[in-house]
Amino acid sequence: MSGKIQNMVRVTDPIERIAHWLLAGSCLFCLFTGLGIMFRSWEFIPELLGGLYAVKWMHIFSGVVFAFALAYAFMMWKKDCAFEPDDAKWIAQGGGYLWKTNNLPPVYKYNAGQKLFFWFVVVFGALIVLSGLVMWNPTAFPIAVARWSYALHALSALVIGSFFVVHLYLGTIGNPGTFQAMTTGWCSRAWCETHCPRWLAEREKGSSES
Amino acid sequence: MKKTEYIKLIDTTRCTACRGCQVACKQWNEMPASRTRNFGSYQNPPDLQWNTWTLIRFQEHVDKNGDFKWLFRKDGCMHCTEAACIKVCPSGALYHTEFGTVGINQKLCIGCKACISACPFDIPRFNQETEKVYKCDLCYDRLKGGQQPACVLSCPTSAITIGEREAMIDKAYRRLDQLGGKGVVYGDKFVGGTHVMYILSEDPAVYDKLPVKPRIPASVILWKNLFKPFTLIGMGAVAGMAALHYLIKGPHEVHEKKEGDE
Repeated sequence: MSGKIQNMVRVTDPIERIAHWLLAGSCLFCLFTGLGIMFRSWEFIPELLGGLYAVKWMHIFSGVVFAFALAYAFMMWKKDCAFEPDDAKWIAQGGGYLWKTNNLPPVYKYNAGQKLFFWFVVVFGALIVLSGLVMWNPTAFPIAVARWSYALHALSALVIGSFFVVHLYLGTIGNPGTFQAMTTGWCSRAWCETHCPRWLAEREKGSSES
Repeated sequence: MKKTEYIKLIDTTRCTACRGCQVACKQWNEMPASRTRNFGSYQNPPDLQWNTWTLIRFQEHVDKNGDFKWLFRKDGCMHCTEAACIKVCPSGALYHTEFGTVGINQKLCIGCKACISACPFDIPRFNQETEKVYKCDLCYDRLKGGQQPACVLSCPTSAITIGEREAMIDKAYRRLDQLGGKGVVYGDKFVGGTHVMYILSEDPAVYDKLPVKPRIPASVILWKNLFKPFTLIGMGAVAGMAALHYLIKGPHEVHEKKEGDE
């Protein structure tokens, strides 16, 4: 084996990466077309994509893709993202991102912040999909349901949009060496020791015999 | 240029339910008829449609004294000053005209239907084929040409009249005096004042599909005044905090084991 591979660990499989980008792509497309519909100051988006009417349908179709990608991602990651008692300690210390800490609990596959992000996306993603379905044909629903769907859709967009920015920062320049987990799928062994030590230990224990 | 606001006053105490306004509206706006069904009332069609912008609602009412009354109410867009439909319309298809009325430009409408659930009066209707919303525009083209709306012109009993805002509000209250105070002026006390007003012979609560206290729905206010601006504010603030974090704390570097580890 080459030295390069020896010091790299495969942290995601292709299916995970495809699901991630399907979810991320449809989510971002929905986010930006949604902003284009909602804000006159983002008019360049409908202008770029062929008008508001076209953007309305793009938003809806992308939303359908998002719904399926979300359902798949939920099934795939819900086990890895189940909370455990140590997560409270991680959160109480801000994950070591905000001030100096020296007793962060060792992380398994995903830290408590990543888990929180996952569950926020699952919950508000489900809400945005359901409210979006109502908005697609509001007259088929009781008036109160239709009316509150619009508010709920906007609230969910606000939550997902804001968390997306955090995710983007922490997944790229905020944590060097992380982004490739979602491109090639290989991260350095040192990265694993920093970010998912328990998972790495278990993995190496399991493969030491083979 | 001084803005002249118009109000159309519908005096239900004068209405004979001839439905001339309904026909005139269809004719002027070149709206086709649709198949209809008899549901045991002269009210026809049963409800507003994309091609029926005004409708006389027939209602049998027995008041507190046991007196029977036949109530007629010409339903249609109320042309709110604080118009929920305009607040939610993403395309600018719904807008305030120089007369204070709510105009609609179908060329801009994308058929999102947001106005349909936002309207406190349940007025806009969707056309499945054109994928656009339709409603009364108080004959904007006629008003611009110095003409009365078609419904006003057609009314044989002068139950429907139109004029400048202040004068019409005045007229409504004078008519109320004439009626000996037995009646209600409807339209000047909510949503910033509507540009269609009623003189009702009964309490507003008596009438079918007439809200007693119409207002922009709370969900619309939360959506447009809070969640909408905070989408950009929230994303911007988080991006700002991330940038500050990067500058102050710096990226979270991986702790490489030094020397000889390779």
